[in-house]
Amino acid sequence: MTNKDRLRALLQDVFLLTDGEFRFDLKREDVDTWDSFGVVSLAVGVQQTFGYHFTPEEASGLTGVADIIAVLESHGIRFDD
Amino acid sequence: MIKVPDAVPPHMIGDRLGRRVAVVASPSVRDRIAQLLPWPLVRDLADLPADLDGLIVAGGGDLIDRAKLLRRGRPALRLAAMPTIWGSGAEASPIAVENTAVGKRIHVDPALLPDLIVTAPELGRTVSSERARHACGDAWSHALEAFLSPLATDSLRVDLALLLREMLTLPLAYDHRWYTVSAAACAAQAQSSVGLVHGLAHTLEPVAPAACRSHAVLCSVCLLPVMRFNQQHSAKWSLFEQHAVDEHGAFAVLHALFDRERFAAIQPLIAAHWMTVLRDPCTRTNSALVRPGDLAFFESFVA
Repeated sequence: MTNKDRLRALLQDVFLLTDGEFRFDLKREDVDTWDSFGVVSLAVGVQQTFGYHFTPEEASGLTGVADIIAVLESHGIRFDD
Repeated sequence: MIKVPDAVPPHMIGDRLGRRVAVVASPSVRDRIAQLLPWPLVRDLADLPADLDGLIVAGGGDLIDRAKLLRRGRPALRLAAMPTIWGSGAEASPIAVENTAVGKRIHVDPALLPDLIVTAPELGRTVSSERARHACGDAWSHALEAFLSPLATDSLRVDLALLLREMLTLPLAYDHRWYTVSAAACAAQAQSSVGLVHGLAHTLEPVAPAACRSHAVLCSVCLLPVMRFNQQHSAKWSLFEQHAVDEHGAFAVLHALFDRERFAAIQPLIAAHWMTVLRDPCTRTNSALVRPGDLAFFESFVA
């Protein structure tokens, strides 16, 4: 399983999205479960899945899936696989 | 640091609530409250006079939460909470749970925090042993979920570790120290969060069979499976060792709180309402991520 696959599965579970609802260009405002509680569970899930713990500023500043990938790549987690 | 309102026994209240004070008490303790407090008893919160300076509400978590919500609309009114049983910790938190036609509604607002706690632990001496055990489970669920919360600060965890070590010395039965401990546990979860135990309890309370239809019972019954789940999945589980909290001692307590028959009775309901559990705000601040596929863990859980 690639990191992209792991991220897709994680985000579908965190935000309760179906296969058809998920896209890698999703923005926070597109997802009604990406609220303040969703920020917490996303941070917990990312730590469990990728071993990286978002800072509070990183977690609350994310505006979409692309930002999640950018933050993780900046910490050495590759998504070009 | 865990912040709890000042706590005083009845004879030390003095004029801290102003001159015009009334008392509302649960029916089961009304006679005993009338002997402990010199102020007039009012039958119901809806009957309070308009010109009061202070209100003392004596009862369990539901009544205290109703008084907190009422006081939010009357900010000049000073509120003292006098818990008749420990466990909910409603007297020590800025959170109120409202029972509505569509389920539980959780309010979080600094204006909900009572000004004063009135301590009368002798009121708990007559509580049945089963109710006392479940009240202990309610306090344990607050303390453990707050300790493992992704929102807890390091300094709060230091205080919670001290609290958990004290709780490990207490019986799952009446002990006057439970009043102080459960108030601190509830105040601590208000400064961090609760988790899946509360997500399950809030979801199942309206639909559970009568023997399980209480917040304290559901917390007590769900604690062991949820903590086993967290033990397997949470990156925060090592906090027990880091803070020298006896994990095995804690699990011994959770086994004593667990009730196999009651858990078997709610297992089909967990499955039927799993998506509601996942959407509950408490579940979403659990120590470990709770995913749709994790239902299998709870469907197959054996103590």
